[in-house]
Amino acid sequence: MITTDTGGETPHSTVGAHEESGSPDHTVQLLSPTGDRLDDAVYSARAAHLDRAALEDLYRDMALTRRFDNEATSLQRQGELGLWPPSLGQEAAQVGSARALRPQDFVFPSYREHGVAWVRGLDMRRLLVLYRGRDHGGWDAYQHNYNVPTLVIGAHTLHATGYGMGIQRDGDIGTGDPDRDRAVVAYFGDGATSQGDVSEAMVFASAASVPVVFFCQNNQWAISVPTAKQSRIPLVHRGEGFGIPSVRVDGNDVIACYAVMDEALERAHNGGGPTFIEAVTYRMGAHTTSDDPTRYRSRAEEEHWRQRDPIARLRIHLEKSGTAPEFFDRVEAEADRLGEDTRAFCRALDKPDPESMFDHVYATSNSQIERERAWFRDYEASFDQEAQR
Amino acid sequence: MTERIAMAKAINLGLRRAMERDSKVMIMGEDVGPLGGVFRVTDSLQKDFGDSRVVDTPLAESGIIGTAIGLAYAGYRPVCEIQFDGFIFPAFDQITTQLAKARYRSGGRVKFPIVIRVPYGGGIGAVEHHSESPEALFAHTAGLRVMSPATPSDAFAMIQQAIASPDPILFFEPKARYWDKEDVDLQADDAALGLIPAPDGAVPGVAGLERARVLTSGTEVTIAAYGPTVKTALSAARVAGEEGRSIEVIDLRSISPLDIDTVATSVTKTGRLVVVHEAPTFFGAGAELAAAVTEKCFYSMQAPVLRVGGFHTPYPPANIEEEYLPSLDRVLDAVDATLAY
Amino acid sequence: MPAYQPFNLPDVGEGLTEADIVEWKVSPGDTVTVNQTIVEIETAKSLVELPSPYAGVVHEVLAEVGASVDVGSPIIVIDTDPGGEAAAPSDSGGEAETSGDVLVGYGTKAPSQARRARRHAGTTATAAPEQPPAPGPEPERLAPEPAVAAPEPASPSEAAPSSAVLAKPPVRKLAKDLGVDLSRLKGTGPGGIVTREDVNAAVENEQPERLVVYPGDDRPWLDGGTVSADGRTTRVPVRSVRRRTAEAMVASAFSAPHVTVITATDVTKTMKLVKTLREERDFADVRVTPTLIAAKALILAIRRHPEISAAWDDETQEIVYKHYINLGIAAATPRGLVVPNIKDAHRLGLHDLALALSELTTTARAGRTTPAAMTGGTVTITNIGTFGIDTGTPILNPGESAILAVGAITKRPWVHKNKVKPRWVTRLALSFDHRLVDGELGSRVLQDVAATLNDPARGLVWG
Repeated sequence: MITTDTGGETPHSTVGAHEESGSPDHTVQLLSPTGDRLDDAVYSARAAHLDRAALEDLYRDMALTRRFDNEATSLQRQGELGLWPPSLGQEAAQVGSARALRPQDFVFPSYREHGVAWVRGLDMRRLLVLYRGRDHGGWDAYQHNYNVPTLVIGAHTLHATGYGMGIQRDGDIGTGDPDRDRAVVAYFGDGATSQGDVSEAMVFASAASVPVVFFCQNNQWAISVPTAKQSRIPLVHRGEGFGIPSVRVDGNDVIACYAVMDEALERAHNGGGPTFIEAVTYRMGAHTTSDDPTRYRSRAEEEHWRQRDPIARLRIHLEKSGTAPEFFDRVEAEADRLGEDTRAFCRALDKPDPESMFDHVYATSNSQIERERAWFRDYEASFDQEAQR
Repeated sequence: MTERIAMAKAINLGLRRAMERDSKVMIMGEDVGPLGGVFRVTDSLQKDFGDSRVVDTPLAESGIIGTAIGLAYAGYRPVCEIQFDGFIFPAFDQITTQLAKARYRSGGRVKFPIVIRVPYGGGIGAVEHHSESPEALFAHTAGLRVMSPATPSDAFAMIQQAIASPDPILFFEPKARYWDKEDVDLQADDAALGLIPAPDGAVPGVAGLERARVLTSGTEVTIAAYGPTVKTALSAARVAGEEGRSIEVIDLRSISPLDIDTVATSVTKTGRLVVVHEAPTFFGAGAELAAAVTEKCFYSMQAPVLRVGGFHTPYPPANIEEEYLPSLDRVLDAVDATLAY
Repeated sequence: MPAYQPFNLPDVGEGLTEADIVEWKVSPGDTVTVNQTIVEIETAKSLVELPSPYAGVVHEVLAEVGASVDVGSPIIVIDTDPGGEAAAPSDSGGEAETSGDVLVGYGTKAPSQARRARRHAGTTATAAPEQPPAPGPEPERLAPEPAVAAPEPASPSEAAPSSAVLAKPPVRKLAKDLGVDLSRLKGTGPGGIVTREDVNAAVENEQPERLVVYPGDDRPWLDGGTVSADGRTTRVPVRSVRRRTAEAMVASAFSAPHVTVITATDVTKTMKLVKTLREERDFADVRVTPTLIAAKALILAIRRHPEISAAWDDETQEIVYKHYINLGIAAATPRGLVVPNIKDAHRLGLHDLALALSELTTTARAGRTTPAAMTGGTVTITNIGTFGIDTGTPILNPGESAILAVGAITKRPWVHKNKVKPRWVTRLALSFDHRLVDGELGSRVLQDVAATLNDPARGLVWG
């Protein structure tokens, strides 16, 4: 059955379709919106080892991500950031999928993957530096195997495929050594699937059986354009069309997101090639702080998805399974500290040295750059810095 | 009747007039529908003209331009919005290998009256790819016209001229000037808008798209600018004027073609030229203008043409874009320097 | 101690410049927490709620509902330490809590309206031209290429070897027109730049050609140019005046069949007239020469035979008769031959003709003759007598039909009133374009000129 059941003015749940697990029309779900664990013939086993402690860890990841994200949104509203793309509502898709990664796996994110950054071990506050306009990323991508964001929609999916081609050439697939086999993940959104680059990335990956996972967070909205205007079929079929094993998952179900990613990574690590994952979720906030969702979507739709909040879902489950209230208090206190740290960190970020704009343009000395740098240095030095204050 | 409106609104109203004038005009781009574009330039147009004429496209710039070319073959006049300057490059192939050459290839039999609106330039505290000035790349490509308005009034007229043009036009809108306000004559007739009225209610034509405009008359130094830097040039002329200098400011308006004659006439008088743009000076529009003016005015020139613009670096992070962009001080320094020769 | 923190309206949407206050969610006296929503604003893009950046008590709301506020203007003041004593709101003391720098979240800044203060005058672009100007990203000027002869105010005397010349384009043009070799001049402008004045001075103070002795010979020859290996030849590039002269002469000599007629005449009366006029008060301000009288004589002759004032239009196969006389005067200058002409010379009285003549010669000698002055001539006088030559066969100035050569005026034995007497005698030669002037016409014109010079009183009759 093919349905165009994503987004639009009349929202309805895209999860819980009735196809059998393993079919792309099936939406994998292991935790219901009411907080009950569900059985799935294919995927339950992959999450079976996630005990309460592990789920509490996932909860903490998501709660801290959200708190950080909210703080950043506020900081933008207070003039401390130029822009912020909120991840609100997508925590399960990001945290669940990222927790399945091995340290040696590499991630090419888009610009909204704050939860993935957190799980990879990047100090999330580092993300603020970019949005405060101090740099364009600038961290060591190899330290956490987490690249700086790509803002041109979908362009990095090709980079991920290329990285995977490198892994193939290094022989780091199918060795059976869990510390050696590697994969690469491209995170992107529903809108990106319309870009030619994304199709080309899947063409290359499929043709050469590249160990790459295309993790598409379908958050229903490409700014103001609903997914239905990007595709008349569920996005999961895009992967199928390229001959790539594809799976659709409830993106607000952190357990299911873990499980499908675990499967995709296992395939990649074992030399089985690419996987396309459509994680059906919802961008609860604006596209960015420059956006105004009230112009194009209804309160009712937002409320519908608020009922499917990924963090609330896991909290209900944990409460049902006996997690003590003190755990949530501890997480909230930790989140508060993170919020304060984030605020203080952001405000302490000074303007960079303007001359730094000439750094890193080329690896070798370049006469054009050096002439301009020398001119700029003299020019800046010609001003009375004291009089500017 | 004039109304005090911002440039974003002026372009919006210009688009509206063009759509009313010619039912073949249509708008297409990302988020141009209910959202009205990320800068609200297409605000309300879908509501009033319907989603057949104002199309929220899939998120694919190459697709936007490629399908616009097809629509032009079918007799339509698409006005495409590329959301930000830095996002035009997925469409670069369609623009340069297809759109720019399509008329030539057809032996002049097919018209491609496509306008590609591109919010461009910096100074708005944005992230990477949202502050660039790629106009020279398109000016370098034969078959395309490249224009940029500097004021609300001119934007109101120029967008209508661009849409009336039978040639493809890259219409670069200076983001930093979107919210500048000015009295705009919204009732201006076709002739006043620079359009050639056609008989029997037919769609008007356009001529003289490349005309530059002398904004202030002066005798000692000519400053040529376009788009966002015209305001800076005018500030420099004012400050220099207070210091006893006589500056002539020219708003180029068209980057391809360049109105060399207007600039040359001015430089023949002043003997000095400063070109200001946000794009990197290296291989930029200023370099072309400098060469052309030197060829025409060599023996009138008291100083070399000086360029003020961006550096040969990627557009820097927003915190230091102020140092990257051509500032009042840098323009004044160039004016001083030409006078010191 | 109370600490009043103003909150400035941020740019919430990339480049916005203003917003309207829609609704205040707090009032003075209310306690607020960090990130508590305090106000709703509407921008050109959207409705936005702003969270408080501070915890404390609202001290003052600075913008009313409905007001349009510029980005960066304070909209609310919050006391972050309400327990303390009062202090002026402006004394915020909030440096520690707010960023010192202008934030990107404050978006589009109004372009500055005045110059920033410079450290000290010496480093600015407005400094003396000896300092390198520093406009735009033009760093090349900081390190000028040594061999480039571009106008480079940056201490060019050091940067450029002696062969490089510093001069602005208009000065180069002037020098080119005047045939001045800039490399021989010492520039008096800033940094050794050759100025317009330098070029003019060079023309006025033209020095005799320098002589040098080349290897291979012990005799001095002209300085300059490229000397051959054996030292016996020098090659000098053909410069503009010389090249133009050559082109004109070739064009004329090989298009118009020249015929020259020659006559000798007694010009003693002309010499007396010259002497008389030189003592005339009315002519005190001009230089009276035999050439002046010869010019007048030629004008009178043409007036009697106007068909000689014509030109052959090869393109249309027509003869163009000119109802005016633009009288060319061939002037030898150090840079070559120039032939400026006096426009509408037939309209000028003797005094005005004298004025025009001396002005034209002075200008030509100074090398300031403009191209306009050298075009449109109808007939020319060349005074070869100044070189002590009796006569010659002059070549027509292109586009003209006749040229008169006036030879040296010398005392010679001459039959005067049937006696051989020493008289002032000259030879006149008239070359004409035989395509349109036949021998008779040419001869009559020359005879008339000779007659007037022989007896200037004829001028009264013919004038």
